[in-house]
Amino acid sequence: MKYIIAESVDDVLRAFSENDGKAMVLAGGTDLVLDAESGKKSSDAWIDIMRIPELKEIKTEDNKIVIGSAVTLTEIARSELIKKYYPSLCKGAGTVGSLQIRNAATLTGNIVSAQPAADAAMALAPLDPEIVVVSNEGERILNMEEMYSGFGKSAIDSTRELVKEVRIHIPAENEKASFIRLELRKSLSLPMLNAAARARVENGVIKEIMINMAPVGVGPKRARAAEEFLLGKELNEENATEAGKLALKDANPRSNPLRGSKEYREETLPVIIERAVADIGVQLGLL
Amino acid sequence: MSEILKCIINDEEIEALVDPDMRLVDFLRERMQLTGTKIGCKKGECGACTIIMDGKAVNSCMVPVMRASGSVIQTIEGVEKNGRLHIIQEEFINKGAIQCGFCTPGMIMSSKALLDKNPSPTSDEVKEALGGNICRCTGYRKIEEAVLSAAKRLREEV
Repeated sequence: MKYIIAESVDDVLRAFSENDGKAMVLAGGTDLVLDAESGKKSSDAWIDIMRIPELKEIKTEDNKIVIGSAVTLTEIARSELIKKYYPSLCKGAGTVGSLQIRNAATLTGNIVSAQPAADAAMALAPLDPEIVVVSNEGERILNMEEMYSGFGKSAIDSTRELVKEVRIHIPAENEKASFIRLELRKSLSLPMLNAAARARVENGVIKEIMINMAPVGVGPKRARAAEEFLLGKELNEENATEAGKLALKDANPRSNPLRGSKEYREETLPVIIERAVADIGVQLGLL
Repeated sequence: MSEILKCIINDEEIEALVDPDMRLVDFLRERMQLTGTKIGCKKGECGACTIIMDGKAVNSCMVPVMRASGSVIQTIEGVEKNGRLHIIQEEFINKGAIQCGFCTPGMIMSSKALLDKNPSPTSDEVKEALGGNICRCTGYRKIEEAVLSAAKRLREEV
């Protein structure tokens, strides 16, 4: 195995073409290193992207927050810039694994490893990010749903494509986001369920809403029936409760021996969604 | 194929020919004979292999050895200075925060990474810093007490 320490995005693109599908991008490595050992993923070379200066920044650009793909989850969880606009993303990023894992792992890696209930990816999902992917064919921008190609499967081919950064719009004054997690323990455990939402509310009425939930399908699943119900309605407790019930229409949870049966998850999901919606109301001073 | 690793481990400059497939924990234990860093799960779930790399606590079982290139690494062996235990180590002893001892090197490295940056942590901050370290003897309360007490002593010493 070869180990390539890239110092620029161009280095990564060069390594892609020189190794023709045999060299894989390595970010934090907290999933990939284990997957390589178990044989789940294999490559002849790793391209370490964690020292590329332009990927290590959190900044604002063209009215967007830009998070480079070598930014660690600890850096996101503690970022004053992100906390100012989307504290829910700090919360989600700050919940993954343990501090040691967050000191290495990245937000982009949390998406590309494609586990449905990944907390950082979940907190990001309703912020409707633009995910910038570069390859030797050029640049393309994907939305969150386009990042997942199946259960536990990423749409990104890490031997030919590099996720460069995630861009998130700066929220309007009356726009807030939330992240809620049903957990067995605080550290080192995947959630039993998690959910995140974002809404823009004018005069108490919901003008824009996105709700995501997991693990109830592929990736952070949209609760579309709940979103449709809430759009144009008042943000109050009654509507939040109804949205929670409607979330089941888009959810198909599986049974997990550690993290809850299908039946248990179906009982608790409405409560988690209700809380995710209600939390936005609390942040806006409506509830 | 081997590659050359250059880094600093416990204040000593190291240059070694390594197989990039190797993980840092195996390099530390097998090549450097620094066996104070323990292997529990080798999956990032127990924290026994915690070391400090460039000022941050990381699981050395999840670090490909070449990622350590140019890094400054501290292991439990580097915590004692001039034959004198570090205050954190002393407080682990004083508070009885050690039972079987297997998790202790990892616990101390996580604690040191915290206290190096934050001399006055709250109880919640200690819990966050140690959340990735599992003690199967379940002596968590005494470990938390030891860290808070070490923080107090370190503050008084300055």
